[in-house]
Amino acid sequence: MTHGRGPGRRSIPNLLGEAALTSSRVAGVDGESIPLMPDVHVLKIGGQSILDRGRKAVYPLIEEIVALKDRFQLLLGAGGGTRARHAYELALDLGLPTGVLAALGGFVPRQNARILQMLLARHGGIFILHDDFEKLPLYFRLGCVPIMTGMPPFSYWEKPGEVGRIPPNRTDAGVFLSAEVLGAGRAIFVKDERGLYTADPKKDRGARFIPRIHVDELVAMNLDDLVVERVVLEYLRHARHTREIQIVNGLEPGNLTAAVEGKDVGTIIHA
Amino acid sequence: MAKITRHEDERLHIEGRFMRESLVDRRVIASTTTEEELRILPDFDLVGIGGQSIFDRGREALFPLVAEIAELHRTRRLVLGVGGGTRVRHTYAIGLDLGLPTGGLAQLAGAMEEQNAIMLQALLAKHGSILMAREHFWELPLYLGSGMIPIVISIPPYHFWEPPPEDGPLPGHGSDFGLFILAEVLGLHRLILLKDVDGLYTKDPKQHDDAELVPRIGARELLARQDGELVVDRQLVQALGRARNVEEVRIVNGLVPGNLTRAIAGESIGTTLVRENGR
Repeated sequence: MTHGRGPGRRSIPNLLGEAALTSSRVAGVDGESIPLMPDVHVLKIGGQSILDRGRKAVYPLIEEIVALKDRFQLLLGAGGGTRARHAYELALDLGLPTGVLAALGGFVPRQNARILQMLLARHGGIFILHDDFEKLPLYFRLGCVPIMTGMPPFSYWEKPGEVGRIPPNRTDAGVFLSAEVLGAGRAIFVKDERGLYTADPKKDRGARFIPRIHVDELVAMNLDDLVVERVVLEYLRHARHTREIQIVNGLEPGNLTAAVEGKDVGTIIHA
Repeated sequence: MAKITRHEDERLHIEGRFMRESLVDRRVIASTTTEEELRILPDFDLVGIGGQSIFDRGREALFPLVAEIAELHRTRRLVLGVGGGTRVRHTYAIGLDLGLPTGGLAQLAGAMEEQNAIMLQALLAKHGSILMAREHFWELPLYLGSGMIPIVISIPPYHFWEPPPEDGPLPGHGSDFGLFILAEVLGLHRLILLKDVDGLYTKDPKQHDDAELVPRIGARELLARQDGELVVDRQLVQALGRARNVEEVRIVNGLVPGNLTRAIAGESIGTTLVRENGR
């Protein structure tokens, strides 16, 4: 009986040989990779935190984006918000699994990306799908502001989290992963809080602001609540290019601009 | 009926349990744990055909397997997936040498598997197979109901968004994992993976005469083992430990005629990875 490697398999000789590929490791290769588009600034526009506030919160941000877009390459990722939560609530009540929730969760950020596109259309806002990602160089060359869903494309293939059925990879994760594969040094999250606190400042008056923190230190603090999705911290620890995330309060004028210009406003979580 | 309210925080909310809640909050997440999930489409056998281990062997390995699948199809509802094999390794080797990032490698890998899926479709077409595009996810009941053998794309659609692995440059979410997660979301009880080994051994059987086959092992125990190959994606084993629906993953030698039939009949051959988390 044939067993394992050797005769019978039509293999192409290569660096990995007949490796099982059951892990990510390659003996003797550290996998240093090139940044594909390191000049792109990847920004997430929050769903519940920004878009659900409507005109009052969104219009000033649009103005800031328009003022920046000829100086910087901006890729926007949209968050979900209250409609996504409502869909999750119904789906949870129906007993549906994580993968279905992730698929359902994809629709609202897509709507929000389309909303942002409409507002930015006359300034070169362009709605893109995951499949358009390889066309980013063209969009930037034309002076466009590409806008996409913040959700990663995992959909039905989303892994269940350790507990519960809420998909662990949502729009923060997707935006972070976009930044990492593009080779951007930082991912910027525009939300409605100054940044990271020791607790939810909307509910806990004693919450303390944290301007800058190492990701390992933050993980060690073992906070019950965080300002970004928990998987983002894990990704930040292992990422090759995106070694920092920045969380800024988009309700305060000038913060988004300062963040894109590389100033340390809000909270920086670094690896 | 759900009410839409503008809260004093100025956000327009739909009233509900998650209104103003942080979906990152552990307590909120824990509140979504349930004893049971809906098993969406639990009544078929999902079988993964190894890329390098089976498919790259060509006719010698595939023709007997195709005959066995055609025979099984008379009485069972089957869904198949296939890995990408040696061309994926070659893609990764070239990509790594050129300095492509992990997400870039993941974006490339699926194409090699799709080639294998087309070849498998060509072999099984006369028995009623149908190559299923990801976008046709919800047509699975239609295909099964009309007596077809759907062939799915195994590798998950993580593409450029492949999470950065903790231990190396290669994408961690491969074909084994992709089939597993499909089984999990549809509510299957088990997944069968065909490889060219009899299962998992205590040591590498090609180097040690005293290596013994492990008939049954828990996901956590397997992850804790330092020596020996995993045979399947590490991500699959990790996800099995957290699974809500899939109870076991069976690894069977697909080069031995009759093994697939025996595995589907529930005979204890090969190695069974079990969830063991009491969920």
